[in-house]
Amino acid sequence: MSKQMIISISREYGSGGHEIAKMLAERLGVAFYDRNMLDDIANEMEVDVENLHKYDEKRRLPIVRRTVRGYSNSPEEIVAEFQFDYLRKKAAAGESFVVVGRCSEYILREYPGMIPIFILGDEDEKSKRVQMVRGVSDSEAKSIMARHDRTRKYYHNYHCPYKWGDSRTYELTINSSKLGLEATTDVIMNFIKVRMEHTEN
Amino acid sequence: MTVASIIAIIIFVVMFILVITEKIEKHITTLCCGGLALIVVFGICLRDFEAIWNTINLEAMIQPEFWRSAGESESGGIDWATILFLAGMMIMVEGMARVGFFRWLCMLIAKLVKYKTVPIFIAFMTISFVLSMFIASITVILFLAFITVELSKLLKFKPVPMILAEIFCANLGGSATMCGDPPNIIIGTQLGYTFNDFIMNTGVIAVISFVFTVAYFYIIMRKDLKTTVSVEDFADLPAPSSAITDKPGFIISAIIFIASVILLITHGTTHLTVAAIGVIVAVVTLITSGKHILEVLKGVDYKTLLFFVGLFVVVSSLEQTGVLKIIAEFIQSISGGNVFLMVCIIIWMSGFASAFIDNIPFAATMVPVIKALAVTTGINIDVMAWSLAMGTDIGGSATPIGASANVVGTSAAAKAGHPIGWGVYCKKMVPPTIIVLLVTTVYICAVYL
Repeated sequence: MSKQMIISISREYGSGGHEIAKMLAERLGVAFYDRNMLDDIANEMEVDVENLHKYDEKRRLPIVRRTVRGYSNSPEEIVAEFQFDYLRKKAAAGESFVVVGRCSEYILREYPGMIPIFILGDEDEKSKRVQMVRGVSDSEAKSIMARHDRTRKYYHNYHCPYKWGDSRTYELTINSSKLGLEATTDVIMNFIKVRMEHTEN
Repeated sequence: MTVASIIAIIIFVVMFILVITEKIEKHITTLCCGGLALIVVFGICLRDFEAIWNTINLEAMIQPEFWRSAGESESGGIDWATILFLAGMMIMVEGMARVGFFRWLCMLIAKLVKYKTVPIFIAFMTISFVLSMFIASITVILFLAFITVELSKLLKFKPVPMILAEIFCANLGGSATMCGDPPNIIIGTQLGYTFNDFIMNTGVIAVISFVFTVAYFYIIMRKDLKTTVSVEDFADLPAPSSAITDKPGFIISAIIFIASVILLITHGTTHLTVAAIGVIVAVVTLITSGKHILEVLKGVDYKTLLFFVGLFVVVSSLEQTGVLKIIAEFIQSISGGNVFLMVCIIIWMSGFASAFIDNIPFAATMVPVIKALAVTTGINIDVMAWSLAMGTDIGGSATPIGASANVVGTSAAAKAGHPIGWGVYCKKMVPPTIIVLLVTTVYICAVYL
């Protein structure tokens, strides 16, 4: 496909959205961006990437951060801006890619090839996945899921006027627990194919 | 306590919370709270329409002593002298920044010390300290932090320690003079001090503290300043003069800056008030800016000036309803009339409060409090004024949100890829804050009491 496509994958923690995004990038033969974009950013700035990872996809903390004459000292906000600029540059250069989170569906909303997708899952299925990946109990997994989803929601809602997970924000909202990761990826691939046929670039 | 006092306190607390949370822009918050205080506290509760007029205080500007006087400002309400002075200095600094003055100065110093990290470290701390005596620490830090990051890339050293040291020295330099830090301008204009009064009191404390500060930062940061790059690698670096964007403008800016320093130093003799100096400096800068006049005016931070206007009204409502007198009586009762204890409370309470909240509203609130304390206890107000100035100016260094320079400095570091968290910041900055507050306490107790 020669048309530019930008697949934005938003996801609930444990839904397998990250893996699905990776599979999509592989099948489509396009770049894949998640927290790895910070490696590029740090490399370009000649700084320690670990210092940036700490603030990845976190919302600006209230009260303990301040803004003076337009200068914010919130590392969360500044790291988010680095990523937004990075994505804007990639998109402006005409690159096609799959990006996980980072408010990409809002930041790059003006591109006709932007396809925003939200992946969710059943509570128990998500918990099983988290237990398997992180080697924790069911209750620990659920508490981790709740914490991560809360962080993502706050981060998203701080930077975007739309609510995280609100189906009206996305073109496709899909529950990965019903079909499994592979079949969910197949469905999304089909959707992307049809969607791109209807996209003028 | 009257209904008016309770409403004034509620308005003040709401204003403070809104300023801290930054949900609404600060100037809108203070202006709305100020308007509310005028209508509800003065208009509805006190039914004192003369107090409204006195608080707005526009009449002050048509008095000759507003422009030429060495005495204490008698009027309460909006402190137009502080606002005009700040506006004037903002315009001058914008003019200087436009022509590349600050960048030139930083590059020149780096070249003079042959790009060696330790001398740069000490020189930049000194520039930060000295420049902040006369111009807003935000501007000083903005340029210094930017150049520090650039140099750190070339010389391969860690920029964060140096930026932190520069921030601390900017706040310390600001405490040395009447125009260095907004709390000092408020204290100076409302209590009728001159530039020299500050130099001879807080200035001496700041200089002594500066020696301790340089020693402290050198000891804890000397390892971070090591570089493997040699001086010969920088033979083809751009000359400092390349920073100058407009040579005639640069010369004019330098002259205006030197003239403003002279005017400030001599204002005790010339009796020109800081308001007059602010207006003179602004008018000359604008006239000499020529076609760049709009560019200079656009750079003026009118939001901060409006923030001050609203703030003064809210504080005035606290003063006129007797709330500040209650605070003064409270300080008097917990100190049991012991002057040493009272000075310690003022220094350390101001220091602690300023570490977490904006020191400008704090200082504006505390000036009437120390005025009341001086009347009721008979303690010399000067001692309390210097304690308040040092406490508010220095305490702000302790946390990333305590003072404007900290916010701008940590923001510049983060934008260069070096985010500074609270842990790292406080670990390096709390000890020197305590050291300087101790120096202040010892000095004030030994010299004045």
